[in-house]
Amino acid sequence: MKPLVRLQGVSKFYPRVNRPRERLRAFASLMTGNEIREGAEVLQDVSLEITKGQSFGIIGENGAGKSTLLKILTGVISPSRGTVEVNARVAALLELGAGFQPEFSGIDNVKMKAALLGMTPGELDRNLDSILAFADIGDYVYEPIKHYSSGMVVRLGFAVVAASDPELLITDEVLAVGDESFQKKCIRWIESFLERGNTLLMVSHSMYLVQKLCRQALWLHDGATREIGDVFPVTQSYLAYHEERSAAERRDRQSQRGESGIYRIADFSLSGNVAEADPLIDFGGDLTAELVLHSPDGMPPVGLFGIMRADGTPVYGIASDYDEVEPERLDENHYRYRICFSQVPLLPGSYSLRGHAMDPQGLRVCDTAEIRFSIAGESRELGIIRLPHLWNDKS
Amino acid sequence: MKLFSNTVFRQLVLRAIRTDYLENMTGFAWLVLQPLALLAVYAFVFTTIFTSRVADPEMGGFVPYLAIAFWPWTAFSESVLRSSNCISANAALIGKVSFPSELLPLSTVTATFLMNMAGYLAVLLVLQLTGVSIHWLGAIAAIPILALLYLLACGLALFFSALQVFVRDVSQILPPLMTFWFFTTPILYSSSLVPDPFATLLKFNPMAWYVERLRDFLLLGKFEFSAMDVIIPTLTLLVFWGSLLFFRRFSGHFEDFL
Repeated sequence: MKPLVRLQGVSKFYPRVNRPRERLRAFASLMTGNEIREGAEVLQDVSLEITKGQSFGIIGENGAGKSTLLKILTGVISPSRGTVEVNARVAALLELGAGFQPEFSGIDNVKMKAALLGMTPGELDRNLDSILAFADIGDYVYEPIKHYSSGMVVRLGFAVVAASDPELLITDEVLAVGDESFQKKCIRWIESFLERGNTLLMVSHSMYLVQKLCRQALWLHDGATREIGDVFPVTQSYLAYHEERSAAERRDRQSQRGESGIYRIADFSLSGNVAEADPLIDFGGDLTAELVLHSPDGMPPVGLFGIMRADGTPVYGIASDYDEVEPERLDENHYRYRICFSQVPLLPGSYSLRGHAMDPQGLRVCDTAEIRFSIAGESRELGIIRLPHLWNDKS
Repeated sequence: MKLFSNTVFRQLVLRAIRTDYLENMTGFAWLVLQPLALLAVYAFVFTTIFTSRVADPEMGGFVPYLAIAFWPWTAFSESVLRSSNCISANAALIGKVSFPSELLPLSTVTATFLMNMAGYLAVLLVLQLTGVSIHWLGAIAAIPILALLYLLACGLALFFSALQVFVRDVSQILPPLMTFWFFTTPILYSSSLVPDPFATLLKFNPMAWYVERLRDFLLLGKFEFSAMDVIIPTLTLLVFWGSLLFFRRFSGHFEDFL
């Protein structure tokens, strides 16, 4: 089947045109067909193919190039490199009130928008009542758009798009401004639109919406495709990426605090039969770690171990003073703790092990180090750890 | 002429007419009053102070002589000036909605021409009523001339509006350029009064051909043809075609520069 949309190696480059001289130079490069060198590359080599009936979600951080990609798809801008092919009647809802002029009344803007979407005056006349009913903003349609709330603008915009009977609907993060009931109305409409065999391409920061409405997803990162495929794996790794990032921010804050402490971690490693990079531990295997602490005043510091999930959810933590364990003294200033979690009941996934240096009284964390590891294996159990359990126990 | 059946184009023209002329109170009156006032000033200066001669007494004096040329010129220069910044003025539309952006300058020119031509017709009627004999057969012959003038305005509008995106100074350079063009065109004076080296130069001004043909047709009912009647229309078509190519060549890059 011929794809509805095909992007091949699409890149977008914005020349730097802030000053008149830069504009002129960029224009001269355009005239002579030379490549413009100064500027910002916002999309790099993105390829995408969408067939009829698919629903695609585009996710990514702010500034990842999502909106630029949509603009290229709708033909608002042309790519610097690569080819774009769109074989469908497209309706796009790119930005809040795009194509609306604030000075004109709602009804005039509906006429203009309908014309831009390719509706003939006859079609518009037939659909006008249903557009106004869908938008449901009452007599405000006769007021200039500039007096509208942002939600009303979106209502009107979506109503016209819905009436234009597109084959491919492209929406940016616009539905978020509508109120609860309007959002539900839009989602219902999009669902029935998809049931009729049409195609959707949406940008959203709401993973819930993306998972609800889309079958496929594309994760854009710094203008390039990071992951593309079924919606669930892609959104999950996107969420994991964000969790790790916020966990890293928390750790940064902690380690900044830790630097002031005098008890430091000299060495922290997993021992046993594991690889240094990306250590993998069998499901139900042993996790052994070694923590060497530096103590400037010769007093034995307290050691603390903690296991957490990749997103920072704590699983288990234990300090040496709680178990009344003394460290092994290596020299005047160095002490070593060893710990073995035997038969770790952690379910397969990514985790991290943290070692902390605490003062000898066990009151203050002075230093923190972290090792990431994975539990290998496959399991359909849910959660973090396996709890011992019995089914239908008669005893 | 697929253009005129294009719904977006019609919407844009209606919108331009409404915002520029009908929606401000003085708009429509201004459309007639402004050229009338200017006409009165020029008439006073040139007939009372300078006592200019009109080459051909058959033309019925200075005022009709001036008026016949003045309205088409106003339509022409105003539409080029108005449309020269229409791309940057509609940056919000260009960056967000996909549509052929050439409709913006074309609709501005069309709206300006439509309004000024309505004024022109009114002036011709007033002249007729005040005893100036307008040759109405010539008026029919004037329609293709005005259509060509419209095409020339469209061409320049396309060229300057595209250029203005890249070279912002166009908006500053164009108004004095238009004033210069106004005074080098025999609108206030007759080309027969121009001494020789300049008279030859004047022949290269396409606008001179337009105003003189309009006077010949409308005031004298004179239909004499020369090589210029082929050269200027051809030149006009070339300007339009070249400008359209220029516009389309760069329209894909507008968004990068806005």
